[in-house]
Amino acid sequence: MSENKGYKPSILITDDSEMNREILTDMLEDEYTIMEAEDGVQAIAILEEHAEEISLVLLDIVMPNMDGFGVLKVMNQKNWIENVPVIMISSESSASHIERAYALGITDFISRPFDAVIVHRRVVNTILLYAKQKKLIEMVEQQIYEKEKQSDMMINILSHIVEFRNGESSLHVLHIHTLTELLLQHLIHFTDRYPLTQSEINLISTASALHDIGKIGIPGEILNKPGRLTDEEFTIMKTHTTLGADMLSELPVYQDEPLVKMAHDICRWHHERYDGRGYPDRLKGDDIPIAAQIVALADVYDALTSERVYKKAFTHEVAVQMIMDGQCGTFNPLLLKCLAEAADVIQKEFQTSVPVYDNQKTMKNIVKEMLYK
Amino acid sequence: MNLQACYAALGGNYDDVIGRLRTERLVRKFVLKFLDDPSYSTLCSSLEAKDYDEAFRAAHTIKGVCQNLSFTKLYHSSHQLTEALRNGWSPEVEGLFSQVTADYQQTADAIRAFQSEAEGQ
Repeated sequence: MSENKGYKPSILITDDSEMNREILTDMLEDEYTIMEAEDGVQAIAILEEHAEEISLVLLDIVMPNMDGFGVLKVMNQKNWIENVPVIMISSESSASHIERAYALGITDFISRPFDAVIVHRRVVNTILLYAKQKKLIEMVEQQIYEKEKQSDMMINILSHIVEFRNGESSLHVLHIHTLTELLLQHLIHFTDRYPLTQSEINLISTASALHDIGKIGIPGEILNKPGRLTDEEFTIMKTHTTLGADMLSELPVYQDEPLVKMAHDICRWHHERYDGRGYPDRLKGDDIPIAAQIVALADVYDALTSERVYKKAFTHEVAVQMIMDGQCGTFNPLLLKCLAEAADVIQKEFQTSVPVYDNQKTMKNIVKEMLYK
Repeated sequence: MNLQACYAALGGNYDDVIGRLRTERLVRKFVLKFLDDPSYSTLCSSLEAKDYDEAFRAAHTIKGVCQNLSFTKLYHSSHQLTEALRNGWSPEVEGLFSQVTADYQQTADAIRAFQSEAEGQ
């Protein structure tokens, strides 16, 4: 803090008694910028606007309109409590009140009447502790990001080579990555059926880039044939799934790595259908790994909305409608629900010429998960 | 009348408050502010209107302020009144309210006497 001259961290004092606020303000205003709220409702309104800048909340319990516990509940719902420490100051010193306050995530509890030096010291300590923790989290995020960036780059170069040979837009891989991640984030929000962590979501999204690597083994004449494929040609084309999977399971190293296993499943089963009429194994329902189900949906959406030698690009609305109507295969109804819910975000995301999936944000989610779960 | 004498007159504990708030400046500032705090009049009006939630909060605030300032006597009576009001009205409220009123008057009188002398200097 001291290296940043003139910078004063902000403290929100929430107490219905003006005198109580003033006593605290008087003790702290030399070192901190003070914001004041007279009750819980005001405190929430201020947090709503300034949660990012507030370094600490001093919170009373008994207040009109919304009490201190009410404020803590909202801070939990909005996840502010993870980044904004709360010190509760109250004359309600019964064990049940204190326990409840700690259970709701406060950092410290100070009973009235308080000692000025103790309040001051605890405020300083808490703010320093959180500042240090925040810095550490950022450093870890940066480290993971740098590490991921390297492997991400390699995977993208590799998949770009495959797409290049297909004559497909090299944006395809980026699109699939973005779509896969978006759909998965929606999926875990409304069902517990597929308990995926943020790192697993990241893993699936990364592995999605490799879904078509088997096409490297398909003859160019078939791959880039402008007209309709004959039955025989189509049979060969279909082997890109098993080819890709075999390439991965025959890797001399890394076979047991989660990324390789995930990529294997996606390669092999991204053309299976939920009704069991897909290929190569005619898997049905949730026998198809969820990763492959998601990539299949993302693949179909992107194929519809992109221009190909044999077709023009459909608009986002038409593509979504065609998928919903079952014109492009059968999908898990839960995934269709994800697509419907994510439709607006997808459209917005793809309007920008190059979809940049926010890796830094992904890392943040993963680090957050490591810390709080 | 100095600040110590004022504390003696209102039944407070000067040593305690100076031990916690550390400076006479701070104690003096907030003792003088006590008269501006609306909680006592809120307590009176809410009891009259039978709004016991509001009365509970007002009594609670008086208690908290007294605790901060070591106004021991008024702290004790407001504390008892707070507990009596915690679950709405109870038969003890009336007697305890009279006690709070008496202690509040004593406190306010002592502060006013201190104030007029402080201003006279």
